[in-house]
Amino acid sequence: MNNSEKISLHGRSLLNRRGFLSTAGLSTAGLALTSMLSADGLLANDKSHTVSGQTPLRPVIDPNQPYLPRPSHFDSKAKRVLVVYLPGAVSHIDTFDYKPELAKLHGKKPPGLPAVTFEGPSGNIAKPFWDFKPRGETGKMVSDLLPNLANQVDDFCFIHSMTTDTSAHPQGENFMNTGFTMEGFPSFGSWVTYALGTENQELPAFVAINDPRGLARSGKNNFGNGFLPAAFQGTDFSAKNPPNNLHRPGSLTKDFDRKTVDLLQRLNARHLQQYPGDANLAGRIASYELAGKMQMSVPDVMDLSGETAATLKAYGVEGGSELRGHYARNCILARRLLEKGVRVVQLFNGSDPAGGNGITNWDSHSDIKKTHAMQAEIMDQPTAALIADLKQRGMLEDTLVVWATEFGRMPFLQANGTGRDHNPGAFTCFLTGAGVKRGFSYGESDEFGFKAAKDKTTVYDFNATLLHLMGLDHQRLTFYHNGLERRLTNVHGSVVKDILV
Amino acid sequence: MKQMHLVATLICVTSMTSAAVAQEIDFATDIAPIFESSCLHCHGEDEQEAGLRLDSRVNMLRGGDSGLATIVPGKPKKSYLMDVVNHVDEEMAMPPDEDKIAQEEIALLEKWIAAGANWPGQMEEVAREKSDHWSFQPVTRPAAPETKSNDSPIDAFLLNKLSERGLAFSKRAKPRALIRRASIVLTGLAPSPEEVQDFVAASEEDGAGAYASLVERLLESPHFGERWAQHWLDVIRWAETNGSESNMYRKNAWIYRDYVTRAFNNDKPYDRFLFEQLAGDTIGQGEATGYMVAGPHVPIATVGQEPTARRQARADRLDEVLQTVGASAMGMTIGCARCHNHKFDPISIKDYYAMTAVFEDIEYGSRFPELADDHPQEVRGAEIRAEIAKLREQLAEYGPWEEHWSAYRDVYFAPVTTKEVRIQFLQKSCFVDELELFGPQNPEVNFALASSGTTLDTDEEMIYNKNKGVSRVNDGNFGTESFAAKTQEGEDRKPWVVLTFTQPREINRMTISSNREDFFDTEYLEKLNTGHVANYKLEVKDSDGKWQQVAATPQYNNLNKKNKGRAKVMAKVQTLITQLYDEGPKIGFVGRFVEPAKSFVLGRGSPENPRDEVFAAGLEELSGDLGLDATASGDERRVAFANWLIDKQNPLTARVAVNRIWHHVFGKGIVTTTSDFGKAGAPPTHPELLDWLAAELMEPSTSSQSANWSMKHLIRSMVMSKAFQQSSHPQEKALAVDGDAALLWRYPPKRVDAEVIRDSILQASDCLDDTIGGKGYRIHNVKKRYAQWEVVDNHSSDTWRRMLYQERFRRVDDGIFTAFDFPDCGQVKAKRPVSTTPLQALNLMNSDFVVNQSQRIAQRALKDTEGDKALAVDRCFELLLGRPPEKQEREDCLAMVKEKDLSLVCRALVNSNEFAFVP
Repeated sequence: MNNSEKISLHGRSLLNRRGFLSTAGLSTAGLALTSMLSADGLLANDKSHTVSGQTPLRPVIDPNQPYLPRPSHFDSKAKRVLVVYLPGAVSHIDTFDYKPELAKLHGKKPPGLPAVTFEGPSGNIAKPFWDFKPRGETGKMVSDLLPNLANQVDDFCFIHSMTTDTSAHPQGENFMNTGFTMEGFPSFGSWVTYALGTENQELPAFVAINDPRGLARSGKNNFGNGFLPAAFQGTDFSAKNPPNNLHRPGSLTKDFDRKTVDLLQRLNARHLQQYPGDANLAGRIASYELAGKMQMSVPDVMDLSGETAATLKAYGVEGGSELRGHYARNCILARRLLEKGVRVVQLFNGSDPAGGNGITNWDSHSDIKKTHAMQAEIMDQPTAALIADLKQRGMLEDTLVVWATEFGRMPFLQANGTGRDHNPGAFTCFLTGAGVKRGFSYGESDEFGFKAAKDKTTVYDFNATLLHLMGLDHQRLTFYHNGLERRLTNVHGSVVKDILV
Repeated sequence: MKQMHLVATLICVTSMTSAAVAQEIDFATDIAPIFESSCLHCHGEDEQEAGLRLDSRVNMLRGGDSGLATIVPGKPKKSYLMDVVNHVDEEMAMPPDEDKIAQEEIALLEKWIAAGANWPGQMEEVAREKSDHWSFQPVTRPAAPETKSNDSPIDAFLLNKLSERGLAFSKRAKPRALIRRASIVLTGLAPSPEEVQDFVAASEEDGAGAYASLVERLLESPHFGERWAQHWLDVIRWAETNGSESNMYRKNAWIYRDYVTRAFNNDKPYDRFLFEQLAGDTIGQGEATGYMVAGPHVPIATVGQEPTARRQARADRLDEVLQTVGASAMGMTIGCARCHNHKFDPISIKDYYAMTAVFEDIEYGSRFPELADDHPQEVRGAEIRAEIAKLREQLAEYGPWEEHWSAYRDVYFAPVTTKEVRIQFLQKSCFVDELELFGPQNPEVNFALASSGTTLDTDEEMIYNKNKGVSRVNDGNFGTESFAAKTQEGEDRKPWVVLTFTQPREINRMTISSNREDFFDTEYLEKLNTGHVANYKLEVKDSDGKWQQVAATPQYNNLNKKNKGRAKVMAKVQTLITQLYDEGPKIGFVGRFVEPAKSFVLGRGSPENPRDEVFAAGLEELSGDLGLDATASGDERRVAFANWLIDKQNPLTARVAVNRIWHHVFGKGIVTTTSDFGKAGAPPTHPELLDWLAAELMEPSTSSQSANWSMKHLIRSMVMSKAFQQSSHPQEKALAVDGDAALLWRYPPKRVDAEVIRDSILQASDCLDDTIGGKGYRIHNVKKRYAQWEVVDNHSSDTWRRMLYQERFRRVDDGIFTAFDFPDCGQVKAKRPVSTTPLQALNLMNSDFVVNQSQRIAQRALKDTEGDKALAVDRCFELLLGRPPEKQEREDCLAMVKEKDLSLVCRALVNSNEFAFVP
């Protein structure tokens, strides 16, 4: 047989389904009625289906080419988004939220603070474990814990008035990443992918780069598709580990692998003759061609050998802890993915706590001085280098960068302890890049950093703002599921307009 | 009695009179202006923020979306209006973002409500309108349209609709397509080559007869129940882990899966099926209650110590139960009414909380399921217990002894009467989640319980922290919430606990444990607690006030050394205990029962905002009053609710059931939103057909042999229809009119589920172990408590069972089939979405499972054909696609075999579209 070339071309032509369908002679009227993902027999834009009184804007998705780029709801600078997620809860009062009052009250227990918090009885106020200094031209006060990120505060937009609904990690992670504390809702990344598809058809639309130590506490929930189609789940790989089953079986040469695919596509082409113009069959044929391309493009993007020594050094690949080295490589991978047009990259800095208390993520119930320092050593330099690299390449102009954690930590210690308990009342996240003010701080926590005091920002507001920055209306980006037009923001949230450029 | 009534009346009259005397409220002059100036802008004729209108009395009685009555005449304290104007809750303060209205105005409103909220001209309006939405109307059986060829009612309804659009059924499908379709739809397994051959041959003789026997064979296949169990488990997002942080395994939760499989195989009537899942504990079908705890939950250990978080967590757990029941049995999105009245459907916030009252006695956890007395496990259990009892008589002669029941220790000693009992630990640290003391008189009564008045004492300084206080010892709760104490640094004193009864009690037995839940609720954890208890000395205070030892850990070994006989008997007892757990009734994660708490409407869904008390009920719109109050026991509530649900007058139950079956048979429901029959859901494409099917389910008319609510009867009616037997091939004209074949002018081809792919591959390779039921196969590791599960083996011979039995863990990627829309079991998913992604292609091309199985299929084919390569290619096609290859296909494949080997052909076939679609 010498038609393998021909079949490959045939397969490729299927990628352009419109062209394929016209050659297959299928009437477009029939096509228009074939079930679109999520449509469920309901008419899109049917007003009666919305809870908030807004008209839903369901993306029109061809189930067989779910990743084709789709228009945003309105113009936005951000074309892609990087979320650096820090499981375990970073202490805002030891990093970016400067509270001089804590030094004065150190060792005291002022009235009005709770007797019991998440892990149990509370102790006395503790001043920050690191010194704060003014940084950059803005003079933003940042602690010595994160010296590299501190150097770049002029680019950052802080939100100091974040609050959440839960003081438990898994629910907190769910809330930040899926908009609900309960299990099983689609993640932010899957919503964005569902809405916008992706620019590069040869790489996954949404990549979750997990920490070298493993998945965070909510596991796959943080990048899962919930009730959205599986097409929109984050693909899990890192600089070290490729996606599941990417590579052909060890027992097969490339040639024979290709020949199997060709045989498959010949079988499929014959089968298709019995169902002329069937879009579902054609879509599945195309998916095998796409998989073949991914087998080339994913190893390519994972290959850091072309990175300069200067880049490796800047990211801190060598010279630090082994974990920093791994995380730094993941940071470089994140940049490479974004460069190639991957829509959403979610980069984790921390895992579940199976490895021991405080050293697998930012959770610091005891000896915060030591455990936060260990995490910071891993996170600070590579993350700062990643942001600087994106800036230097001009990518911050159209990439949104989010640095987020699930809650803050308490201004006081745990009773008879050396660590800080969970604080859902106030915490800090920051954004930078496309569409966001630079060198700006929004909202305030109270004098202790105990509760959000000014311009309180809920997780709903935060997520509404992220979607807005991606050109999406959080009230109208919906998916019909069990009787509701579901949204990332449930029925809440307003865009924090003050931080937008 | 009479006197009390008089007093009440007097008070009432007095207060009214004083109000009236103080100031007569006039609606027009005193009240209307307040609404006019401060409220109506947002809650009037033009705008109804939060669904609330304050320009009519009846709307105020009803309240807005919050579901809380704006006014309750005579009761200002119960009137939500007073809360919002008083800014009780900052987040719900009216008018919004403004100061409160004047204090005098607030006072006027309060008086007006207290005096009965008199509103001239509007006092008569109280009626609540009934919904006119189709699904809330009673089911009546419509007459089937008449057709020329004496069609079955199902076909007649469909043809009627088709002819309106100028369409008709397609021609009958070919026998090979028919058997493949019927086998996959009914059993989830593709037919074997031999079954195909037989059917093709039989069809040549008598097509209709061959098909009818095929359907009967498939309905009787034990794999039928497996297939339909999978569908049901999907709807209720049943899984074998909790979800949440530790995502722990739910021990023996699979006994519920077996129950469901049996129910479908035995054609348990659907009304019984629902009843048992809600109240099976009352009739010896305890395994069925796994239904209620099918959803995820957050164990108390990871909720944290704040009381508000704990109340919220319980409310969340009940919400999961309601979501399960609502979506699966009622086709309603009940959860919407958790915070406010349902926006679209007649489900009020009161309905929601009345339904939580139904399930107040349910908690996530394990119990020994109630089984019929003659259940083999019950019988065996009773035998073993009798043997143990006999051996105990022997043991008693040697002094005290301790039985190790894995979850706890059971300590026996000679009866002694005392008022105080002391446990002196002999090690430096101890954990006790519960300690129970029993006597010979009423062996079931635990004298240690705090609720019986028993008090505790300990050395407070030794307690780990406040959460581990001594009260945990006798609070009646097992699990991670334990008492924990340890010797202080530099000291020798070891932890102890003294229990003091209200009066002297005769005792002869103690149970003690450190975390009973670990053994009862879960498995596959490193460091699983299998009944560790620190060494102890058990003492009682005698009449002289002296402590007398009655049993102690070191004593047991000494007694064994002294008496060889004792050691032997002891060993026998331990063996029998292991046997009892193995062969007797199995404790399983099918829910445990707790004392029902009071239920309240929770304003805006918050447990911190309880409003009116509510009692167990169904939906008010559907006459859901069950005549129960707070004194009703948990099982009374569930029995009454179940009976309401399965009443033939309930318009939802049968409709939802038949529609879901239709969805699985034809690929799309008559109502496409299979778990939402409300206004936001899709309307039925064939309303009369839906009602006919619902009526037919409740009372079969087309078969005298079928019982009411027979699911097999209904499924048989569907697959015997002409509609099901049509060809699936496209027709240009029909496609233009009805692109997705909603009207069924063809059988719509559909993708097979993940399970069908995996099971059919294993069947083709002859590797499939088709044992029905029992514990599933493992693919994950044994993990640390707070670690994520890892897939360690998803392809070796231990996993060669039907995928129904693959460990079904929440939000864990199995490495192959999760990409095929296998559910994550988090939220209720009415049906699986169907994705097409390159990751599916990679998994099905390159996974160890597929590569290994392709080789096995090739080996089998070669063996079956005695090494003839051409015949082996044919055999592979028959094994995987149920047909021989066409000439060109055979040539293509043989070329591949000659160049490399047959397994590549199998790898291609497994990935082919033909294998992935129901024809």
